[in-house]
Amino acid sequence: MIQRILHLLLLAVILGFLFPDSATAQSGDTGASKTSVGKIILVQAVMCEDMLELVPRNPTTVFSIERRKAICFTSFDPVTEKTIVYHQWFHRDQNSAKMKLTLNPPRWSAYSSIQLRAEDIGPWRVEITDAQGHILDILRFSITE
Amino acid sequence: MDKFIYLILSLRWQDIIDIGLVSYILFRFYVLFRGTNAFRVLIGMTILWFFQQIAVSMGLIVTSWVVQGVVTLGAFIIIVIFRNEIRTVLLARNLKFIFWGVSSKIVTSTIETIVQSVFDMARRNCGALIVLPGREDLEDVIQKGIPWQGEMSKEMILSIFWPQNPVHDGAAIIQGDQITQVSAILPLSRRDDLPSYYGTRHRAALGLAETTDALIIAISEERGDVVAAQDSQLKVIKQKRRLEQILQQHMGTAAKKSRESIKERLMVTAAALISIIFVTAVWFSVSKGVDTLANLETPVVYMNRDPAMEIIRTSSNTVSLELEGSGALIKSIKPDQIQVKLDLKKSKVGPNSFTITRESISLPPGIILKGVTPPVVDVDLDVLIKKELPVQIDWVGKLPNRFILADATIEPQTVTIIGGKRMLEKMSAIYTEKVPLNNLEGEGTIAVNLALNPASLKIAPNSKEKVTITYATKLRNE
Repeated sequence: MIQRILHLLLLAVILGFLFPDSATAQSGDTGASKTSVGKIILVQAVMCEDMLELVPRNPTTVFSIERRKAICFTSFDPVTEKTIVYHQWFHRDQNSAKMKLTLNPPRWSAYSSIQLRAEDIGPWRVEITDAQGHILDILRFSITE
Repeated sequence: MDKFIYLILSLRWQDIIDIGLVSYILFRFYVLFRGTNAFRVLIGMTILWFFQQIAVSMGLIVTSWVVQGVVTLGAFIIIVIFRNEIRTVLLARNLKFIFWGVSSKIVTSTIETIVQSVFDMARRNCGALIVLPGREDLEDVIQKGIPWQGEMSKEMILSIFWPQNPVHDGAAIIQGDQITQVSAILPLSRRDDLPSYYGTRHRAALGLAETTDALIIAISEERGDVVAAQDSQLKVIKQKRRLEQILQQHMGTAAKKSRESIKERLMVTAAALISIIFVTAVWFSVSKGVDTLANLETPVVYMNRDPAMEIIRTSSNTVSLELEGSGALIKSIKPDQIQVKLDLKKSKVGPNSFTITRESISLPPGIILKGVTPPVVDVDLDVLIKKELPVQIDWVGKLPNRFILADATIEPQTVTIIGGKRMLEKMSAIYTEKVPLNNLEGEGTIAVNLALNPASLKIAPNSKEKVTITYATKLRNE
């Protein structure tokens, strides 16, 4: 598990603007976007290949290991106070990583990513939860050869 | 010696019946077919078969092949060449005889032929005069006999004394199994104390009996009675058995017949004993030989499972049985003859361990179980529940580098799955079968099955077994 975490590249960036693209990852367990639990509201959750100027680039649900990484991007509105959210990555039903992201007002976005290896091929999901463990959304995707 | 006693004590009642039944069949075969050519050839074939077994045990490869070929060919030859003989033997006997009767020699003896002919003619009121010479020569006493020199048979005797036959009037002389003369004239008795109903035929019979030691049988055509004349006496014969005794005494065959009868019984008894010994030997060599070991991979059958529970996992679905027995029995084992059954009646939800005992395994007779691998099988059971799970696409392969899968939706998004409670509680999604990306281009839909893993999972009746994927690809922003 520790080794697995070492392979993860955690990037948590809090941004202060809205994103034009919509969520494309196969989601549906909680309603893809605009989910609110308590004070925070999840307005966008998307899997993408890359980030360009803090905007998700090439949103998709299939990641080739040749692309080397997969990114889970989330944005919230409003963020009135310092808020903790989690991105929990599962390969099938095995918990692969749990990433803690901090939202500091007025920054509304956060993303996490993993590096892709041959043994990661298969179906994945990312559960986006708040500090209390409430699931805000689930994004489903596949890692392929 | 101990081994022999062990073998005898290990016999089951089924084995006794087995040996008895086959011995009886072999014995009946002997009784029915003895004396026939087919039987003689069969004996030859049996000897050849033993020869082949010896050749095999000695490692004489070509000899055993050749003999085996001859034996195989011989089986066809017996059926083809002797089919008429076999059919005759079977058709000539009724069912009772085939299963139970023991005949003496098939060929009817001379005495039996004479007795049957005499009483047949008596029944028809056909007059006849038959002379069976003793030690004395009749040549000087009998006149005008016509030489016949024919082999005796019932039909021949009946035709000689047929009223329309020119030679019927007079006596027929029988010596051994030959009719030597017919229409012979015998000297008449001059006695005046004979009953008035005795005619010329009886006087002729008595006349020869007074002058020679011959036995004469006369049949009255008026009354149909049978009279035997011997030693100057006339005896009315009412029963076949009596005439047979008189003939046996006259021909000196009584003692011979008795000896033959004893010999016949001894032969039948010997055949019965040989059948039993032969079959017992074959049975022991086939079923009690322990010269071969075999390992057989056998599937485990789980029985009496609570319908509310499901087998989630087993440590092994097959076990390897180490079996011992004779080579013939081991070779003849069919997979459905061996079963390993585990009773799940007392099992509980969760892991269960079952030790495979001898009682769990059904084996054909004569096969001994030496070992089981693995000796213990673990079975994980769970209570069946329903759970609605989201469907997730299991993509495989690769899109061309310039494309990305921009969108993929699935319909229906969820399905209801039936399976073990502990398993379903751990599952957060049900995956589709692997969907290849390689051929995707532009937009489209694909219908795919769900991958039910483990196989114990089932789709609830109200859920679809197939899901439809709607996808869209687009150029990658580089």
